[in-house]
Amino acid sequence: MYARYLSFISLMAALLILSACNLSKTVDIELPEYAPQPVVECYLEPGKPFRLLLTRSYAFFDPLGLDSTFLEKLFLDGATVNISYNGDTVSLPNVVSIEPNPIKVFNYTANRIVPPTPGIEYTLNIVLPNGQQINSSAIMLPKVRWDSIVIERSPSDTGLYRCLAYMTDDTTLVNYYRRIFSINRLDTVPEQDFLVDDRLNETGVFAFGSAYQLKYRYEAFNTIVHLSKAHADFIESVQLAVAGNSNPFQQPSPIKGNVRGSANPIGIFTPLVYDRRRTIVDLE
Amino acid sequence: MSMAAAAKGIQQAPSTKINRMSHRYTLLRPVCAAIYACFLLHTAGAQSTLVTGRVTDASTGEVLVGVSVFCPEYNKRTATDAYGLYKLSLPEGPDSLTVVFRYISYDEGSVRLAPASKVKADFRLLPAGQELKEVVIQGNSDIEDKKNSVQMSVTTLSMREAKALPALFGEVDLIKILQLKPGIIPGPEGTSGLFVRGGNSDQNLIQLDNNIIYNPNHLFGFFSTFNPDATEDVTVYKGGFPAQYGGRLSSVIDVRMREGNKDKIRTTGGLGLISSRLTIDGPIQKGKHSFLISGRRTYADLITNAINQANRNNPNYSPIPGYYFYDLNGKLDFSLGPKDRLSIGGYHGRDVFTFKDINFDIDFNWGNTATYARWTHLFSDKLSVNSGVYYSRYQYTILNTLDGFFFRAGSDIRDVSLKTDFLYVPNARHTFRWGATATHHQFGVARLKAGSTDGAVSFSAGQDFTSMEYGLYAGDEWKALPRLTLNYGLRLSGWTNSPATFVRTEPRLSGVYQLSADWSAKASYARMFQYAHLLASSGLSLPTDLWYPSTSGIRPQSSDQVAAGLSYLHNKKYLFTLEAWYKKLGNQVDLIDGAEIFSTPNLETQLAIGQGYAFSPLELEIEKKSGKLTGWIGYTLAWVRRGDFPDIDSGNYFPPRFDTRHNASIVGIYELNRRWQLTGTFVYTSGYASWLPQGRFSLFDIPGAPPQTVVPIYGPRNTFRYPAYMRLDLGAVYRFTAFNTQNDLTLSIYNATGRRNPYFIFLEPTFQQVQTGNQVIKTPVGIAARQVSLFPALPSITWNFKF
Repeated sequence: MYARYLSFISLMAALLILSACNLSKTVDIELPEYAPQPVVECYLEPGKPFRLLLTRSYAFFDPLGLDSTFLEKLFLDGATVNISYNGDTVSLPNVVSIEPNPIKVFNYTANRIVPPTPGIEYTLNIVLPNGQQINSSAIMLPKVRWDSIVIERSPSDTGLYRCLAYMTDDTTLVNYYRRIFSINRLDTVPEQDFLVDDRLNETGVFAFGSAYQLKYRYEAFNTIVHLSKAHADFIESVQLAVAGNSNPFQQPSPIKGNVRGSANPIGIFTPLVYDRRRTIVDLE
Repeated sequence: MSMAAAAKGIQQAPSTKINRMSHRYTLLRPVCAAIYACFLLHTAGAQSTLVTGRVTDASTGEVLVGVSVFCPEYNKRTATDAYGLYKLSLPEGPDSLTVVFRYISYDEGSVRLAPASKVKADFRLLPAGQELKEVVIQGNSDIEDKKNSVQMSVTTLSMREAKALPALFGEVDLIKILQLKPGIIPGPEGTSGLFVRGGNSDQNLIQLDNNIIYNPNHLFGFFSTFNPDATEDVTVYKGGFPAQYGGRLSSVIDVRMREGNKDKIRTTGGLGLISSRLTIDGPIQKGKHSFLISGRRTYADLITNAINQANRNNPNYSPIPGYYFYDLNGKLDFSLGPKDRLSIGGYHGRDVFTFKDINFDIDFNWGNTATYARWTHLFSDKLSVNSGVYYSRYQYTILNTLDGFFFRAGSDIRDVSLKTDFLYVPNARHTFRWGATATHHQFGVARLKAGSTDGAVSFSAGQDFTSMEYGLYAGDEWKALPRLTLNYGLRLSGWTNSPATFVRTEPRLSGVYQLSADWSAKASYARMFQYAHLLASSGLSLPTDLWYPSTSGIRPQSSDQVAAGLSYLHNKKYLFTLEAWYKKLGNQVDLIDGAEIFSTPNLETQLAIGQGYAFSPLELEIEKKSGKLTGWIGYTLAWVRRGDFPDIDSGNYFPPRFDTRHNASIVGIYELNRRWQLTGTFVYTSGYASWLPQGRFSLFDIPGAPPQTVVPIYGPRNTFRYPAYMRLDLGAVYRFTAFNTQNDLTLSIYNATGRRNPYFIFLEPTFQQVQTGNQVIKTPVGIAARQVSLFPALPSITWNFKF
């Protein structure tokens, strides 16, 4: 979080120059050869069915093809997907399912519900149509909860409000969190989306705040996600990869996932536990 | 000859025996050569003559470094050292002999001496072109000296040369001109980064008056910290390092501050597009003690502040960040008698960045502070010592506050050093140097404090280290044979950072063999160790990069460099220097992929240790330093690799960003007439290595986080090459006098051809307008590469004055 904070500040400073002199143009370049890889996203969310998204990656300059056949071409179908835990195995048939608001899509879906019990170890095994394998494992995490959500009016009488969210951390363990803050909608780019861990926390209390940017009757969505370290590393590497492509001051990162196997996959297999609170600004 | 007669002859010499190289302009120059010579005869009938003395500027009293001191009767020569002192040992010979003093941009001077065992001859050289006379850079001597010198892989650049050359925004920058020298790869467009012979930018020992400067950059490397008005010259050692230097692997960049004028108060300054400068120097006690104080500040923030103030009531206005930097230099010089000299100097510079909106109230500042006191004492004509105490600090601080919450981060490194260096010249064949240094380092690494002002929420991080660094060295420049000179030495370096202790030996050896009057062959070997490491989160220079000590887990970096070369002096005007070199690098420190340097209790878990190497079969420089047209041509063919990092690219070797195959530069300064000087530089660098994504995937992510259509997939590091970098800069200097003030207007066009050189390349989706019912939707259809360039053709004008 803090390194990214510093990078942001550095970028802001660099923009002083770039904004004055920036010249850009499209150029033709050739990138090194790239062999597509299978991509796994599997979030074990307590109370929700076992679901998995298996897609494929592309060479960077391949056409995006964002038309009606986009998902069809993106999905990697025909694989055998099994998730095992407590000596039991759940098969995920190649069935597309959609979760609304915000929309999430999966192409391997089982009916069985993910149990909420922390500590259960899950193992993933995927056999692709060509016989290549993908494997991973993950342990269910305990849920975290917001202690309180507080709306404060700006002291400068601008009619704006900020939202403060407080959470107590279990300081006996190293915990990783993802903080997401959205205003009014969950299906747009969040106002805040970053990672934090408790290794530097001295009081066991986390406070996350927005700027004075809310207006009367606005809805504030505060989400705190309890992450496995593998999940945190994965998100961090995704964020650095995206930033490294657009910010000359940012060192890029290869994608760090926790799926392995002969298929040379990338992706994440992880529990998903979070607390999301919707708060309406109703202070006069 | 009796002592009295000898003294009489000597006393006649100064005003009557002045030779000038350029007879064409002899009559244009005033006769007032202002030469002063003082000679002491100690014994007669000795076997040889030792001539010693100090050479200074006749108009200012400043000592002159690198002045060629030459005795034509014996074809013997030497040069003045960093304190303007020289020693010339001559065998017994004729009744009288001549000593000639030559220095670039100064009139040549000479004096006739009577032989004696010891002669002391101080000399004052008059600058050429003074009083707006036509300037002819006339010193051939320095390239002759360079050809003959045992020191290879070295280059010196005076501020006079630097000021003549075109510069970005008209801001004269010594460091950027060094980038035009062969063997030195510049950083990204417009920045002051120096990558010397395959080394990283932190592997340069950058000194200002022997005091280390940890971050020599302003504004993310776009300007260096060295105020041109306060700087005399810079010397860069790329290899063959003398034993007195240590602590960095790849180069020594030795910047000297100007001395104050010992005769009269002088004011110099300039107004430019980016900054203004003012320097005042003069005597404290005429002829003996002097002072210099110099300042520089940018003023873009004055404009942005005014704009922000004008829009303070506009609710839709986004404030412009404020930014400025400044430098302050000061120096006092005291002549405490014929044998003692005391110098006290200092530098303080800061970059200040402020930004305030609804999310931030940021104050971000960074900079160096360096001070010193140095004493020089002559025990005798053969033995002198130079001792000093030095303090240097680099720090940055970021503070962000918002109602009830704060964030503060910073790092710093503080040094207190004691150094002493002895010089002993017993005879014409040996020059011994030995000395010692001890430095107390304090590192404050990645300090962070954040939370609520009531203390309920609190985060903190950071590590503090205290280290000691030692150096003990001895070396000798030995004229082993009439044609062979060797410089051999040994440096013993040490480092303690409890509980780790390291002791290393660093052998140094170089030699020159005079093949003929025009040709010389040279070779050198140097082992270096570096105990403080810069952890840079990108290949660029950021003020937030961290200095980190050697510890039990992070061992000292090492380098072994061998070099060999030939020098050829053509027609006594053109010096061809051709070198080949190989450098092996050990214990190289890099950050692992995705390293977090501010949120980890143990930073060493974020570091990777590896190896590296670099080599060049051809590093060529052609220099011309006399006549109306002066300048140089440089070319380097080189390869650089890093590898064996367990956590980076599976240990495979990869080219670092600054691995560029071909580097060429052409620099020319043409004296059109007494008022106009035309300048030009051309630089070509084949493409920088770059790390671009090879593949992409779509991330659907968790509920509440929107999907990302394009997430780049990065493969092995730096497999892509940017297009070549090419730039032509043109300049002109117009000199004039007005109101008893010497002025010049310096016109520059940076990137005169307007070529769009790559600063960075990124990949982004391309869009297509799609009609959906009554709506037109922008739909991404593909990916394109976009190249960002920083500077088009940029004209600038700077007014400089002196009175």
